[in-house]
Amino acid sequence: MASRVSLKTKGKGGKGSKGSDEKSAARCLKEWSTWAMKKAKVVTHYGFIPLVIIIGMNSEPKPQLYQLLSPV
Amino acid sequence: MAGLVPPGIPAVPADVSHTAHTKHDEKTDYMNLPCPIPYEELHREALMSLKPETFEGLRFDFTKGLNQKFSLSHSVIMGPTEIPSQSAETIKIPTAHYEFGANFIDPNLMLIGRVMTDGRLNARVKCDLTDNLTVKANAQLTNEPHMSHGMFNFDYKGKDFRSQFQMGNGALFGANYIQSVTPHFSLGGEVFWAGQHRKSGIGYAARYETDKMVATGQVANTGIVALSYVQKVSDKVSLASDFMYNYLSKDVTASVGYDYILRQCRLRGKIDSNGCTTSYLEERLNMGLNFILSAEIDHRKKDYKFGFGLTVG
Repeated sequence: MASRVSLKTKGKGGKGSKGSDEKSAARCLKEWSTWAMKKAKVVTHYGFIPLVIIIGMNSEPKPQLYQLLSPV
Repeated sequence: MAGLVPPGIPAVPADVSHTAHTKHDEKTDYMNLPCPIPYEELHREALMSLKPETFEGLRFDFTKGLNQKFSLSHSVIMGPTEIPSQSAETIKIPTAHYEFGANFIDPNLMLIGRVMTDGRLNARVKCDLTDNLTVKANAQLTNEPHMSHGMFNFDYKGKDFRSQFQMGNGALFGANYIQSVTPHFSLGGEVFWAGQHRKSGIGYAARYETDKMVATGQVANTGIVALSYVQKVSDKVSLASDFMYNYLSKDVTASVGYDYILRQCRLRGKIDSNGCTTSYLEERLNMGLNFILSAEIDHRKKDYKFGFGLTVG
């Protein structure tokens, strides 16, 4: 029984070392994409409204800066 | 003798042949069908009449246009907000917030952003890359982790069909397609896959419309059957009815409503099979000044919502 158990664990160890190379590539890609999505979320959260305002202020006919703040 | 024939008589057979010719044209040309409406707007007329945006409390909206394409909006909303609760009774918490928005609307590019005092951002982008291809993006971002949602849609519009591919966070993928089969009738289908909840679904939809009425039906394997019928009684009056049935959870809801579009106001009302009555009035006081009254009464759940508001610009 003990010998059978040890054989099983040895087999698993062998397979694990070969599979970890492929797994690490996928895991790396996942980690990078998660990091990129997190950064994109922060950039969008803080930058979307300023982006719309910049695009709007540069469209024709160009509005004046005081019109952004005054209620008239 | 032939010269004495009055000119009216040869005109009559010409008229008959003209009407016969137009009748022949009205026979459907299957190569020139109109483009159907987008799949998500299938129930558009019924939703406009039966589901107005009712609210509770005060709502004040001020939209200031800086030029034709760019405008800023300021909104103040004060009132009780419902929070989801497990028990049957509704729990409401009074909240007040201010929302700032910026809109840029161009024929090719539309950017709408709204940010609230608690940091929630609601962003919508629509970009026409070519005549037929459109990219849309929709995001609700919050400061709390794992509560943000985003979705991208890629739309392709063909001569008599529309197709769309959707990608959302949480590994949500969807695709839908709608095709005009006759000048009045269109059929469509959709599939979606939600990775996070390990759910997938498929659904079919049909829409029949004429100048006077619109009838739609939608079935999905999530158990939803939704049918609606809208009759345009005149330019000012539309009547709508709606039937929703979930064959997995055996939930049924039917509603009947009206939509009066008059010169100075727009009045919408509906009554439900759950005993819920809704009414929504938008009154135009002056150019650019609208007064809004909203009421939703649910006797069964003992939930009474009344709201009033003013929209400027």
